[in-house]
Amino acid sequence: MNLRRIAAVASKEWRETVRDRMFFSLAFLLPILWMLVFGYGLVLDVENIPYAALDRDQSSLSRDYLYRFQQSRYFDFKGALTDEREVEPLLASSRIRAAIIVPEKFQERLKAGQTAGVQTLIDGTFPLRTDITKGYVIAINSAFNEERLTDYISRRIGISRAQAEYRARPIKLEVRYLYNEEVRSTWSMVPALVMFSLMLSCPLLTALGIVREKETGSIYNIYSSTVTKIEFLFGKLLPYVLISSMNAVVLWIMATQWFGVPFKGNLLFFLMASFVFVLSATGVGLLVSLLVRTQIAALIITIIIAMVPTILFSGLIVPVSSLSPSSQFQAHLFPGMYYTNIVRGTFLKGIGPEVLWTDVLALALYAAILRFVAYRLFTKRPRS
Amino acid sequence: MNVVFGPGSQRAVIWWHRLAVMTRKEMLQLFRDLPIVAFLVYSFTLAIYITGNGIRSQLHDAGLLVHDADHSFSSRELIHRFQAPFFRLNGEVLDSREGLRLLDRGIAVAFLEIPPRFHEQLVTGEPTAVQLLVDTTNSPNGLSAASYAARIVARFGQETAFNRIGSADESSQDLPLILSDHRVWYNPDQNEAWFEAISHLLREITIFALLLPAAALVREKERGTVEQLLVSPLTPFQIMISKVLAMTVVILCATAVGLFGVMQPVFGVPIRGSIWLFFSLTALFVVTTACMGLAAATLARNQGQVGMMTLLVAAPMLMLSGITAPMEAMPTWVRYLMALSPLRYYIEIAYGILLKGAGLNILWDSVLAMAALGTALFGFGLWRFRRQFA
Repeated sequence: MNLRRIAAVASKEWRETVRDRMFFSLAFLLPILWMLVFGYGLVLDVENIPYAALDRDQSSLSRDYLYRFQQSRYFDFKGALTDEREVEPLLASSRIRAAIIVPEKFQERLKAGQTAGVQTLIDGTFPLRTDITKGYVIAINSAFNEERLTDYISRRIGISRAQAEYRARPIKLEVRYLYNEEVRSTWSMVPALVMFSLMLSCPLLTALGIVREKETGSIYNIYSSTVTKIEFLFGKLLPYVLISSMNAVVLWIMATQWFGVPFKGNLLFFLMASFVFVLSATGVGLLVSLLVRTQIAALIITIIIAMVPTILFSGLIVPVSSLSPSSQFQAHLFPGMYYTNIVRGTFLKGIGPEVLWTDVLALALYAAILRFVAYRLFTKRPRS
Repeated sequence: MNVVFGPGSQRAVIWWHRLAVMTRKEMLQLFRDLPIVAFLVYSFTLAIYITGNGIRSQLHDAGLLVHDADHSFSSRELIHRFQAPFFRLNGEVLDSREGLRLLDRGIAVAFLEIPPRFHEQLVTGEPTAVQLLVDTTNSPNGLSAASYAARIVARFGQETAFNRIGSADESSQDLPLILSDHRVWYNPDQNEAWFEAISHLLREITIFALLLPAAALVREKERGTVEQLLVSPLTPFQIMISKVLAMTVVILCATAVGLFGVMQPVFGVPIRGSIWLFFSLTALFVVTTACMGLAAATLARNQGQVGMMTLLVAAPMLMLSGITAPMEAMPTWVRYLMALSPLRYYIEIAYGILLKGAGLNILWDSVLAMAALGTALFGFGLWRFRRQFA
């Protein structure tokens, strides 16, 4: 290894990148723009569910019941129906996602101490939303039921309402939210977005590097030069690692200063872990660029293997623990998952190497293996 | 020929012939790039299978730790109710410090603490409380776990209450309670594979439709072969539309393979609406998205730039159009921004036709919006392309 030759390759690569002004500015702008757009825009909460109600009873109690849905921020009232047949076209056109049908004699039956059935029709196309909608309906129903029951007990046994309330609801569940005490979507998304932005931009930056030389033929200059394989790969990657590391720092500053997400961990550890992650993410791009001949193929493949697993299997949205075993296996094959643990852990939990060393180790191994494979794949004596 | 068709129609024949030749050239070029073909096949078969099989967005196997200070019949009964598929009992800890430590390590998502005298309080009718600590580093997941826990505890409490006031269970008719009856339409068993497989298909279609024509056009610019095309009798319109057409045909074939080869036989995804309508509107979506890519391609000088630009557009499209998270809760500006994303309309169309059996009478507004968007994008691309070269 000759440091001067590495420096020469690196400076050639750096100049080439810097002189392509649009590419260079996009390399920095992309992570920042994503952070802004997704940090504000990607809200995973299920709120404002559009619904319609059909009140067959038209009594004060049924109105009181339906009013609870109107009051809730989880539901967005779209109108009252007069006939059950109106429900189907509304659900089919997605104008509403749920319909609530209160039966006749709703008040009469409840006043008489009898049960009354309420029907909820829910759009099942998006299972997660369906499930959460169902949860909200159940919560509103059980709050209503507890009040009915309290009334009933206090009348029947002849005790005060306060006492009857304990009887109706003997166990209280006290929930304490840890790490993200106010359960802000931003706090949990923004750190993961640091991972998302880096995981998408690093491989793409790198992937085009070597293929570009292959496609334009300038790689023959390298083949015929004294630069060795390892020096070439080293120098070639250096500018991209540098850009990505700078991006990691910029993203950290945005997350803490702009979005106000607390950073409870050790900054030095976070930066080191991020550097290791950048090394492994650029390795993905490097590997792709050695396997293909054209930039268009490098683009497609990098985006597919960087973007799709990052959205699905990195823990960004769906936690890895709730994936099926085969998908969990796949999740472990991509660097995103380990880094998600590291960012969420250092930002919100304030944990450091004592817990996260396995993730850092996995990333380091990942980077090393990818580089070794790249080294074996790259040859200065191409057969064709 | 002149006698049969007349000069006007002969010109039309030549025009179409040129277009067909160009389209064929694009396809040949694509199929000679083996890595792309390999990934195309992978994306529309295996990748759909893996996603449909693997992703479970509902609460699933959330690790639960328990600290039971009571060790009574009631406490064990309550713990027993935190069951699969929602929760997975990760064991008992001896004190809360140990529980917090394990939450730190990410071993579990929630930690349930049952106080001493829990059973006694329940029996004597004193109010009691159990505590749940939830990891909200992933906030939707944490909230979901808390909501299920609340349901379980409320139900347990209610049953205890019913027992005490003397009725056997809540289904008896002598209590003033609402019985909620939920009916889920379109996917009554809540088979998540349907949703995930379709959403993955849409993702792959979007990526390929956005990237392939854009990169193909920039490649011609970069290598200078576009100059050759421009001195040929082809019009700029033909040069651009042939790329779109070629990729549309390829993507439609891939979609058919994904739909009939994986989604229908493996996951049993229903096709309730018209299959012809589905494929025609998929073609419209691919053309619209391809035009978006082409518009970006006219702004870029090399493939590196176009790659960055399409990625800049693709990520928000995939994340915010409504398959990753529901649109309703998003800020208003996102909804306005996503009016520009053809995927937003295609989601309505694809789920509408496949799962809801919707037809044009219901989907017309999405179709119209998408068509308008496609026309505008193609017009912009053509205008830029003409200004640059012609």
